[in-house]
Amino acid sequence: MAYAYLFKYIIIGDTGVGKSCLLLQFTDKRFQPVHDLTIGVEFGARMITIDGKQIKLQIWDTAGQESFRSITRSYYRGAAGALLVYDITRRDTFNHLTTWLEDARQHSNSNMVIMLIGNKSDLESRREVKKEEGEAFAREHGLIFMETSAKTASNVEEAFINTAKEIYEKIQEGVFDINNEANGIKIGPQHAATNATHAGNQGGQQAGGGCC
Amino acid sequence: MSSIPHRNTWWKSKKTVKVTRSYPTFPSLNAWEEFRGLLPVDREQNPGVTLGVEEGLLCQLLHSPEFNLFPDSVVFESNFVQVKRGRNWIDIYKASNTMALGVTSSVPCLPLPNILLMASVKWHRGQSQTWNRPSTAPNIILKRILPLKFVELQVCDRLQRILRLRTVTEKIYYLKLHPNHPATVFHFWIRLVQILQKGLSITTKDPRILVSHCLVPKNCCSPSGDSKLVQKKPQASQPSESLIRLMAKGESEALSQIFADLHQQNQFSFRSSKKMETKKDSSVKDTSREDEDSIPCTRDLSWRESFTYGEWERENPSGPQPLSLLSTLAASTRPQLAPPIGNSI
Repeated sequence: MAYAYLFKYIIIGDTGVGKSCLLLQFTDKRFQPVHDLTIGVEFGARMITIDGKQIKLQIWDTAGQESFRSITRSYYRGAAGALLVYDITRRDTFNHLTTWLEDARQHSNSNMVIMLIGNKSDLESRREVKKEEGEAFAREHGLIFMETSAKTASNVEEAFINTAKEIYEKIQEGVFDINNEANGIKIGPQHAATNATHAGNQGGQQAGGGCC
Repeated sequence: MSSIPHRNTWWKSKKTVKVTRSYPTFPSLNAWEEFRGLLPVDREQNPGVTLGVEEGLLCQLLHSPEFNLFPDSVVFESNFVQVKRGRNWIDIYKASNTMALGVTSSVPCLPLPNILLMASVKWHRGQSQTWNRPSTAPNIILKRILPLKFVELQVCDRLQRILRLRTVTEKIYYLKLHPNHPATVFHFWIRLVQILQKGLSITTKDPRILVSHCLVPKNCCSPSGDSKLVQKKPQASQPSESLIRLMAKGESEALSQIFADLHQQNQFSFRSSKKMETKKDSSVKDTSREDEDSIPCTRDLSWRESFTYGEWERENPSGPQPLSLLSTLAASTRPQLAPPIGNSI
């Protein structure tokens, strides 16, 4: 299916926080309570529409377990968005966010949009990390923040789509050089010609309008 | 170091056709499939391509602008049917669904592949599942990338041409080589399994030793896909295995006899000649992987001259590598998995 843009996402965070479940919920709209440990990278993709434009999200679900992260760092390259996930029922996964963030900042482009996700919000009774803590961390580090539940699908769509909206806005504002593949954004064929004019036109939000 | 650019030089001479990157803008997968059909058909001289194990669908997907992954590394790949054990092997999915399995290197200069690729392929109804640039590209979706050090690959059933793939997380796949692939292709996989399990006895980091190694011999195959390797050695039912064993033992003299049988008129392409020059120019020893078996192929290596090299080959890094590359070298070392359960070779 044709698309205007392709955004590369990477999902990172400690093992067991629900990265693969978030991906499965977003791409297949289903929840799988038991999931094999991810080794290397697993891929998912889905089309979304923003501002009337078809955008393909190419999502890289990475291994959270340190021992399976052998070349994970190279996967950051060219990511436009990152979902940094912790588990609200495990304080340690929240405590490790700084490390993940440093890793992400170090190996990705500086404009990468990072969405902080506190997952497993359905397990309120076991909560160890307050929502306010997540919000404060996000505010401090310039991240977007949401709490989600891959199990109930709460906020899952929003987390992926809001990240895309942020990237899209950055494109419109000219923050992202969409001709530079290192930014994790690729232009669909129909937009290639349009892009030539957009590249130098960095002002304001583009009005709706469908795909060319 | 002056030797570093040489890697690029020989590589560029190898990749004479930049398949997808020649397209100036980024297409959708469908558009990409469309223009892929317009590719020049001038690669028949490469048996790896002819056999569909090099520059195949998976490689094209990986190197397409959509992924642009490991763009300078060759991909060795084939199509498999996922099966499960029963009284007989049973196909798990419909015949139109296959799995493209491939290996590549995160850095092209690594001596061994360190990445396993898995993609699902959905063929159009009635479409011949051949691997040489089908007129209408099937729907191929990259599913996962696994560092090979987390994977154990075994030959499970030689007669049925089934591989057993086990990850460290104990996920097991039984993969039957698609019947459309000629026997030669399975021999390549056997050879790959052997190399991954035991390494290359001739692996060396000493650039003064002109070691070349290729999974797909340049002159072993007829365009029909049948291997002259097989045809010309009627006394050996599985000559590739013989080659593997012999190679593992460093029996270069015996090999030279075998390769002499395989010798054809076009032994040296311009490409391989350039490569040899490049290697001769290399003078800096790579010290980053000295834990590899550094060896001892000190015997007469002239037999190798009867080979021209396939795209899939190992290459000695000729000079110090950037730090960004060194970090990935660790990925090629294999951990000790539990003893194999299946009938490994």
